[in-house]
Amino acid sequence: MIHHILNKNYLVEVLPPKQDSENLEADLKKFCTRYRKVIDSGYCVCITDNTMGNLSFQGTEIIEEFQLSVLPKQVMIHLNTFHRKDDLDNILTTCHQKEIEYILVITGDGSPRLPKLRPEDVNFTNIDSITSVELLSYIHREYPGSFCLGVAFNPYEPEEHELEKMARKIKAGAKFIITQPIIGRNKVLDKLINRYPQIPVIVEAWMSKNINLLSQAVGYEIGLKEEYDPIANLKLLHKLYPGCGFYLSLLGFKTQYDLLKDTWI
Amino acid sequence: MKIVVCIKQVPATNEAKIDPETKRIIREGVKAILNPFDTYALEEGIQLREKFGGEVIALSMGPPKAEQILREALALGVNRAILLSDRNFAGSDTWATSYVLAQAIKRIGQVDLVICGKQAIDGDTAQVGPGIAAHLGWEQATYVMAVEELSSSCIRVKRMHEDGYDICKISLPALITVVKDVNIPRVPTLKGWLFSLKQDIPVWKPEDIKAVKTKIGLNGSPTMVVKIEPPPPRQTRTKRIEGTARECALSLLRELRSRNII
Repeated sequence: MIHHILNKNYLVEVLPPKQDSENLEADLKKFCTRYRKVIDSGYCVCITDNTMGNLSFQGTEIIEEFQLSVLPKQVMIHLNTFHRKDDLDNILTTCHQKEIEYILVITGDGSPRLPKLRPEDVNFTNIDSITSVELLSYIHREYPGSFCLGVAFNPYEPEEHELEKMARKIKAGAKFIITQPIIGRNKVLDKLINRYPQIPVIVEAWMSKNINLLSQAVGYEIGLKEEYDPIANLKLLHKLYPGCGFYLSLLGFKTQYDLLKDTWI
Repeated sequence: MKIVVCIKQVPATNEAKIDPETKRIIREGVKAILNPFDTYALEEGIQLREKFGGEVIALSMGPPKAEQILREALALGVNRAILLSDRNFAGSDTWATSYVLAQAIKRIGQVDLVICGKQAIDGDTAQVGPGIAAHLGWEQATYVMAVEELSSSCIRVKRMHEDGYDICKISLPALITVVKDVNIPRVPTLKGWLFSLKQDIPVWKPEDIKAVKTKIGLNGSPTMVVKIEPPPPRQTRTKRIEGTARECALSLLRELRSRNII
């Protein structure tokens, strides 16, 4: 991940189509266009995994079906704990075969259609529920040296608890950290950076103007006095966190993408 | 082994609204999904085919848009899908619905096993599965939590009870309804969806299944809905506890004690 920071390469989130899409072919086409655009820019494309429990297609199956190119250091997939064991192994095997190096391991959100991994699926017997920590351990054990695994950091959770969880994630083998969306200076993020100077931290920048949606996503009311300007916030984050990488969520491909080249100077 | 799985499209919400005039669920403007219990029935059918060979057919009665859940069944891996859709089917209660499905199963022919989810989340009656077996005159086992054995002549299943389970063996052809414990349903793949979009789904009318008109729709429905209304909304409030882990734990403890929960 240090490569992305040194080379000023953004990590750009691309959402795969939902399974209940009313126009699947058009949505798949849009996904592929965006994927190629990010790759062509030299950035890293980041594909989510059933965000907020919405059943969507896996990045790996779209990459396979449409033979999308996987360039070194330019593809990251999210992987959460809501999979059947055989589906989890399929995803990991495909990543390995396609040489997808980066995986963001998260606990994730479930839904009635998304079964949670059971402790016995990943060879744990003394716990009730699987989190990103156990999933990290499983991937390291079953696919040693195959992937560079990252984890999420949520500064909106109680600080003590979140930092304690992070310690367990690092111990389980996390090699980089991606935050929840940050708006301006964040004291908890500062603590995280100071605590783990050797681990690359990627700051998520919320690129939508819809702050209510962000509040829903992080489960914490983010009240702002002024109208939110995503590009201004991204520029501010560059100033505040010059040693970090940047992950762009909900980026406007038509309105914002071309502005990016002048943002990280 | 020829297996038919009966599935239903239901509103994707627990806050279903009811038309005060007709006493029926308002489906317009509400997203429709495959009945969650039916995903277990489909999975069981597909797993049995994977183990014993044969064919799995998804069958649904509903409006034309119910074709969507049949495509989902095809994406999951059933061999073919059939939609029962006609104006004359509208208004069918569980008895008339199970009659229509039974007639369709007769028309398919040579069926060994019918699998249904234990109930649909909209009506919550759990009557259609047993109704189909009654119309067909077949043996049935409800609330199945595991299929333990299947041969060309019989099936042995584990049935869930409130205080345990029983094991029963019934002769084929038979019908079973399954509960959530029976398996972990797969999710459709992209390949599966792309395949399903290219498949033809035949639409059967009453005459295709030799259904007697007096036994279908409102005419064939002995149920009289006298009154139906949604339960009062739950009064829930969220309270956020702030502070260090110790402070939060103490606040939570006080809160739970004050409500006599602990």
